[in-house]
Amino acid sequence: MSSLATSAPTLSPKKKSLAPGQRFVLWVSRIIVWFFILLAMFPIYFVLLASLKGGQSFFSGNLFPRSITLQNYWALLTQTSFLTWMKNSLIVGILLGAVQLAFTATSAYAFSRMRFFGRKYGLMTLLLLQMFPNALAVSAILAVLTQLNLLDNLYIYVLVQAGGSAFNIWLLKGYLDTIPRELDEAAVMDGANSMQIYLRIILPLSVPMLVVIFLFTFIGSFNEFLLGSTILQSPSNYTLPIGLFQFIQGQFAKNWTEFSAAALLAAVPLTVLYAVFQKWIVSGLVAGSVKG
Amino acid sequence: MAMMTATPEVSPAQKKKTRRKNQPVAYLYLGPALISIAILGIAPLLYTVYIAFTNFDMYHFTSYQFVGLQNFIDIINGPYLSVFEPVFVWTIVFAVTTTLANYLVGLFVAVLLNNEHMKESNIYRAILIVPWAVPALITQLSWSNLLNKDYGPINQFLHLFGIHAIPWLTDPFWAKISVLLVNLWLGYPYMMSVSLGALQAVPKDLYEAAQIDGANWWQQFFYVTIPAIWKITIPLIIPSFAFNFNNFNAIYALTQGGPARPDTQFAGYTDILISAAYKMSLTFNKFEIAAALSVMVFILVGVISLIQMKASGAFQEAD
Repeated sequence: MSSLATSAPTLSPKKKSLAPGQRFVLWVSRIIVWFFILLAMFPIYFVLLASLKGGQSFFSGNLFPRSITLQNYWALLTQTSFLTWMKNSLIVGILLGAVQLAFTATSAYAFSRMRFFGRKYGLMTLLLLQMFPNALAVSAILAVLTQLNLLDNLYIYVLVQAGGSAFNIWLLKGYLDTIPRELDEAAVMDGANSMQIYLRIILPLSVPMLVVIFLFTFIGSFNEFLLGSTILQSPSNYTLPIGLFQFIQGQFAKNWTEFSAAALLAAVPLTVLYAVFQKWIVSGLVAGSVKG
Repeated sequence: MAMMTATPEVSPAQKKKTRRKNQPVAYLYLGPALISIAILGIAPLLYTVYIAFTNFDMYHFTSYQFVGLQNFIDIINGPYLSVFEPVFVWTIVFAVTTTLANYLVGLFVAVLLNNEHMKESNIYRAILIVPWAVPALITQLSWSNLLNKDYGPINQFLHLFGIHAIPWLTDPFWAKISVLLVNLWLGYPYMMSVSLGALQAVPKDLYEAAQIDGANWWQQFFYVTIPAIWKITIPLIIPSFAFNFNNFNAIYALTQGGPARPDTQFAGYTDILISAAYKMSLTFNKFEIAAALSVMVFILVGVISLIQMKASGAFQEAD
């Protein structure tokens, strides 16, 4: 096939022209990819339609709406606790992100640059331990919080989740390992101690990955349902996920249109954030796996 | 290592000695994270193990006793066996199917997108990752509406083609299919993204060398591409399996474990072990059974992960 393309250079003045076989593969690939895009977009389109629709049902059997309205969004903001839930979720997400930064930034440095007892298997053990999500300890957490009368408190909800994450440490360690050691060594020559190396060299250079860790913790907090639904009990303390769940389960049952507006309002900013920064996490994962 | 040859005045043995020296200051940097993990991660875990050996339920909230292995016996070979046996089988089926399907579909789409002649593939990629970028819980809750049998848009859309309403979430078989499809829909873009990253990291000269040796496209794919992405993506399959094994949201936000089983109130047809344990403690206040279930999940996932980690050497420090 390639000989066909090279044997007829005069017929195809453009260098880019493809052999018939390659062109066929390309177009088949394109059509399959377009099909996947359709599958990805259709459900989102349905939710968008529902959010712009009058009345309470989801879909009118019509792909293109005859009339659209913002009344669902208006009702959501003025007649429900949506904004309170959003505020609670922001508090939880920002606090958890900040805590994760503090824990990860310091311990990843130790794992990347220092020798100590437990270094070799420590991180692996922690990663293994954390495959047991603290959600599985829900009976223990519920038992303790009930006995101490600490249920239904937003800050207790934050505290329960505020443990360091071995995964984040592993991610940042992989990133720090790519920062050349010559920088540290040069600083040692200049008489810097480990704290100075950390604050002056490592920390500034790890800012990109730290931003990613913060954002992913922040966004991840919007996916937490199990502990939230256990600990937070009054609607004024709900985070967005708990509120959204109640929305379709409880008093607003069957009110799909308002739910759709809420889902979109919550999801769009987070999705944009995630889509912009996901490249970093992927390259972090790839770098982490191939090192060594 | 390369340093050793560059600095001949330091003998290799000496060099080794200084490299091996422990730095106690490391524990200062590790302290905050380790203490928090100990208190908030390991302590609840140990307390769960403790509860699993007691009769700590709502009737014995302040006056519980040790019952030895009774809870485990009740689950493995007692009154709860008939409740949790189907749950256990479904948990395995769900975790394995979801992980493999996400991986294979993700890899497939990544290979399509990696076509060097597809100039616009970056645009496709940006669109295709959207289902993964939306917070999964919101997606799953939305899908529970989309798949509603009577007024969900999916059935109404299928109706346009003359397909009768499918009981997506109310029939045991279709509920399981729905769970798998929804998690494929929102899960494969992650694997696609990682695989694409891995594909683009394959050095171009490997392909050129293969072409010079006369390898065709399939041979290049099997002998150059597959080994290269294998090395990068296999370590991600282990955590993905462990994650799905305990993917509470995937079940609870979509079906709440339902539809209900006629033979038991404790678990529904789509409940996995973690959602069954959640219901056990929150709905039925049977903390001891929930704890015992959790311990069994931990042992199971822990052993599988440990074997796979060891086998792939994924997280071992190359010293």
